[in-house]
Amino acid sequence: MQLLPFYLVCDESGSMAAGGVDAINGALPDLHDEISSNPAVADKARFAMIGFSTDATLLQPLVDLSEIDSLPSLSAGGVTSFAAAFRLLKSTIQTDVDQLKAEGHSVFRPVVFFMSDGGPTDTDADWRGALKELNESRYAPKIIAFGISTADVATITEVANFKAFIQESDNISPAAALREFASSLTRSIVNSTTSISANGGEGFDLQVDDHVPGFTSLSLDKM
Amino acid sequence: MSADDGQDVPRTSLVLRDRMGSGGQGDVYPVEGAGDLLFKEYKNPHTVDQAALSVLPAFRQSLAAADLARLDAVAAWPLCRVTDGGRAVGFLMRRAPDRLTWQAPSGRTKLLELQHALHPPKAGTRTVPQPSPEQRRALAAACADAVDWFHAAGMVIGDISHANILWSLSPEPSVHFLDCDGFRRVGGAAVQAQADTPDWGDPLTPPSQACVDSDAYKTALAVVRILTQDPYVTPGATLRLVPGCLNDRQEDAVRSLFQQATGPRGTRPKPAEWRNALSDRGTIQLRATTPRQRPTVDTSVLDGVRNRKPIPLRGR
Ligand SMILES: Nc1ncnc2c1ncn2[C@@H]1O[C@H](COP(=O)(O)OP(=O)(O)OP(=O)(O)O)[C@@H](O)[C@H]1O
Ligand SMILES: [Mg+2]
Repeated sequence: MQLLPFYLVCDESGSMAAGGVDAINGALPDLHDEISSNPAVADKARFAMIGFSTDATLLQPLVDLSEIDSLPSLSAGGVTSFAAAFRLLKSTIQTDVDQLKAEGHSVFRPVVFFMSDGGPTDTDADWRGALKELNESRYAPKIIAFGISTADVATITEVANFKAFIQESDNISPAAALREFASSLTRSIVNSTTSISANGGEGFDLQVDDHVPGFTSLSLDKM
Repeated sequence: MSADDGQDVPRTSLVLRDRMGSGGQGDVYPVEGAGDLLFKEYKNPHTVDQAALSVLPAFRQSLAAADLARLDAVAAWPLCRVTDGGRAVGFLMRRAPDRLTWQAPSGRTKLLELQHALHPPKAGTRTVPQPSPEQRRALAAACADAVDWFHAAGMVIGDISHANILWSLSPEPSVHFLDCDGFRRVGGAAVQAQADTPDWGDPLTPPSQACVDSDAYKTALAVVRILTQDPYVTPGATLRLVPGCLNDRQEDAVRSLFQQATGPRGTRPKPAEWRNALSDRGTIQLRATTPRQRPTVDTSVLDGVRNRKPIPLRGR
């Protein structure tokens, strides 16, 4: 089978306590319902979830969503270590892709939906170093980054290597923006896997919204 | 709203409810105050072949009462075009009836797509109605029969796929086509450029040249995938039929047609041949199929010090 792994990487630092984690937790059942009831999509997609704050935790190891009945929830607390998130992501992706290949699957480059509602609390050298290692790793993922609330445009743009979005704080609440973030991830999983064949050698088109309601799309053409 | 006469309806006369579906080419909305009528609005109306779209409601108008009833039973057919400033921007069709739906474990109502008859059930699809072996045979036959009916009526289907065919077991096994603006007259132009669904392509026919022969190949895929409960099997592969769905005569006929489907263009078995192969009810030894047991994934995770309550996904 040709597989496309998706990693949801969520900030769950203390600032996400005010409705932020609830918004994501409330949106995950819809994501699960949409994918798990659609076998053609579920067969080709894999889903994992990482929460990060002071540390990073693999909340949901990579799984076929149609095979599980519950997902773990986010829980807010602590500071915001981007470095911890990138390091865990790198090692998890490495293990997961090797495992899937050992099982005989072909694996497309993993896709990361990253979300933060603030800036990293690590030193610049630390998080940039961890991001560089992730981007230079064997299975370097495509990263789509979303900034909520006080997230900084330059940082979100730097984290992303495929698309980046920043919340329009005048037009939408952080909670509503987080729901749109989750819907955008769901659409990306459905629309991307729908263009993948089970075995054929052809590639596929990674489908990510150009415009997400409540967000401004950021240009990644950095100098 | 009189969509039934096939006459164009102005876009400005429609009040739409919330969007209920979206695909590569269009968005689908219920029409306020119009019962089960849906509006499919094209995302790129300027790529629509106006004449090719007119052919579809006209085809329906051309049918005698019995055939018209048959068409409405097997397809969400375009009833009339919807126009804006003299150009077609979409069409009206009927919503797929409730018998073509299932209730997901979440409690939500979903369309019962062909894929749900092809993939063995897992946790997320455990509430999909499971056809008995005899019902599988009848579903496959209904599928071949419907394609044959369209071919006999001079229509090519094009994108036969796991998502564009719905099915039901009640009152009897039957199928219902969606996305019918992909249909075209034999030899005629399609409303818009059509792609094949991955895993449903005819290796010998590019989608732009869809014809009765590529439909015949895809009918072989649909029939055999239903009978094997294998969503990816293709002609040339070993045939592992669901036990008890065919008698010896039917099985011999199906094996030989499946072999024939590996042949060059023009030699694939016709949909009517599939229907005939599957027709005779005869005496069938019925055995209950046990759904394949899937590994249960351990969802307990390391939580550190926090209290991470699982989010209930079911029965909301
Ligand atoms: N008659 C109908 N009854 C109920 N739901 C429908 C009907 N027609 C379409 N839908 C819903 O709307 C969605 C999009 O419709 P459709 O497949 O016709 O659009 P499309 O743009 O041609 O899609 P595709 O990408 O498959 O070509 C469907 O997947 C389905 O969920
Ligand atoms: Mg469709």
